[in-house]
Amino acid sequence: MFARRLAGHLARGLVMILVVTTVSFFVIRSVPGDPMAARYEKLVEQGMSPVAAQRAVEVLYGFAPTGGLWQQYVDYMSGLLRLDLGQSLMVPGVGVSTVLFSAAKWTVLPVLAGTLLSFLVGVVMGVYAAIRRSGRLGDVLAISGSLLHGVPQYVLALLLGAVFTTLIPILPTSGTADIMFEPGFNAGYIGSLIEYATLPVLTYALASYGGWILAMKSSVVTVLGDDFILAAELRGIKRGIVFRYVTRNAILPLFTILALSLGMLFGGAIFIERIFNYPGLGLMLIDGINNRDYALMGGAFLLITAAIVVANIVADLFYTVIDPRVRSGEGSI
Amino acid sequence: MSVTPEKKAPGVRVSGLSVVYRTPTGELPAISGIDLDLVPGTITGVVGESGSGKSTLALSLLNAVQSPGRISAGSVEIDGLGDVVKLRGEELRKARGRHIGYVFQAAQNSLNPLKTVGKQLLDLGRSHDVADLRGLVREAKDLLGRMGMDGARVLDSHQHELSGGMRQRVGIMFALVLNAHLVVLDEPTTALDMITQATILRIVREVHEERGLTTLVITHDLGVVAEVADRLAVMYGGQVVEQGPTMEVLGAPRHPYTQGLLRAIPRLVGDIDEARALPGRPPTLGTIPERGCVFRDRCVLRMDVCETEKPPVVSLGASIALCHAVEAAADRDGRADIPPAGGLQEVVGAQGATGVHEVRGEQP
Repeated sequence: MFARRLAGHLARGLVMILVVTTVSFFVIRSVPGDPMAARYEKLVEQGMSPVAAQRAVEVLYGFAPTGGLWQQYVDYMSGLLRLDLGQSLMVPGVGVSTVLFSAAKWTVLPVLAGTLLSFLVGVVMGVYAAIRRSGRLGDVLAISGSLLHGVPQYVLALLLGAVFTTLIPILPTSGTADIMFEPGFNAGYIGSLIEYATLPVLTYALASYGGWILAMKSSVVTVLGDDFILAAELRGIKRGIVFRYVTRNAILPLFTILALSLGMLFGGAIFIERIFNYPGLGLMLIDGINNRDYALMGGAFLLITAAIVVANIVADLFYTVIDPRVRSGEGSI
Repeated sequence: MSVTPEKKAPGVRVSGLSVVYRTPTGELPAISGIDLDLVPGTITGVVGESGSGKSTLALSLLNAVQSPGRISAGSVEIDGLGDVVKLRGEELRKARGRHIGYVFQAAQNSLNPLKTVGKQLLDLGRSHDVADLRGLVREAKDLLGRMGMDGARVLDSHQHELSGGMRQRVGIMFALVLNAHLVVLDEPTTALDMITQATILRIVREVHEERGLTTLVITHDLGVVAEVADRLAVMYGGQVVEQGPTMEVLGAPRHPYTQGLLRAIPRLVGDIDEARALPGRPPTLGTIPERGCVFRDRCVLRMDVCETEKPPVVSLGASIALCHAVEAAADRDGRADIPPAGGLQEVVGAQGATGVHEVRGEQP
């Protein structure tokens, strides 16, 4: 049962990845401005012979595309089968996977930390806002959630950046670590990493906190109105136990949102990385697009797609663990 | 249908009970000034249309009227508990479940969907400081077995694995497992098919007699009342307009509303057109008249006095009706001779599938 479910998910996921890869391959190639062609033209203009110019370009990038668009597509896909994402154009001579991995470490950890932090705080506050929804504190919490949910990430990032460079300049606002520390596993460097990551993580957490508190609040309010909660109270079930009934039922739908937003990890937080000059995937993708780095763009899209597909599968399988109604499969509901 | 009241069965005296709901236009009465006695060891049926205040009355017995409603006046005296309206906090919580069992409407989901029935049973035991949890489980299995189910399997099931009829029996088990002797059933058979409905009613009746309970059954179905209830209270617009022994009220209904209700039941034999719907609509919270009789707008026996004066309480035999016309008729003849429309026999006829046969109505 479980294995069949997993196999089905994987098959669908692979098809999804194939489709996205194909579409993005052709879309990317149709973007005007081929960097190799541009460099080649430039060299020819500078008086180099076409053959020499071609060779120079090949030397510079370490490879040369051969054949037409279809041939390139077939080459690209067969490369993918060997997990070869191709060569980056922006960083000549380096594989796309290397570039992706070096950027990913600056995105995954901070965004993961920010998501989990905002999830925890948002869920707890959401429960509180729901239970105290007719009181002042509940109002304040709900309004803070709506406000933060409505403010765009880049505005939050700019605000925090401004505050921490001018009013209270206690946190670094640019880069990943102080250059005076030797990168490696030493206390000074790690401390510096944390210090530099604080603002991006905080921004990310604040930006997503509003969504969590609002979602949890409405979920708790819904469950509070469910018959089984009143039934439990009429049976004289202790408050603490009823509270657990409420929260466990209310948090279920949020796990789906959490899993899906973790899938977006690799999409990077473009604005936040840009403003805090944090060299993550988002920033790298922007650079790649500006430089018409086809392979890098394709690789980044592939990574994002794969992450979302995996997150979907994880969310679904996780549900079978936490929700008995899904577990038994052919349930009545 | 004689019931021998056991010592354990508590009596309940509802007096002057009023519940109001807070709305943007002020506090509106859902039930007002209800007097109702539940005789120890009997099953009392409460019938009425949607919005007549039946469920509000049922919840009041547990002092569990949900916000924005509140009990604004009156008392609910339960033997062994005192006035429930005055109970608060832990005292109230402990009374619920242990002294008063409440069974939800079958269509409602009264179980936590994430936990097995057994785990919720343990939650119940822990909430009421039951020392012998094994004994509690044994008791639950006995009750479930008593109702024709495989106790061990049911305790191991989640709500979604049980049918409507099974859920309802689980609900009854939860109401009884702590040995509560006052049981309130709110629409226990609504949304169940006829066969399951008959089974549930038989179980209610049997368990009631075996355990010596005082039982209150809320329903909109006169057939259900005819089948299980010893006594009957008819509600309209937040008031009990007629009450008395079931056979008396259904056999010789006095209040024009009760008569209209009985006339509206389609017969199993004969033409469907013989059933006469009550004209008009029941009042809603906002349209309940402040003075006079709540039923006058739909009443065929309406008199001038009904506009202004609260209907008097008229006792006739063992039953009570709140009606000016009934009083006038009684004064005129020294007895009520408003012809009862649609006697008990026809109600029983309409309930043929549930197999009532021990009750006999008297036709005038």
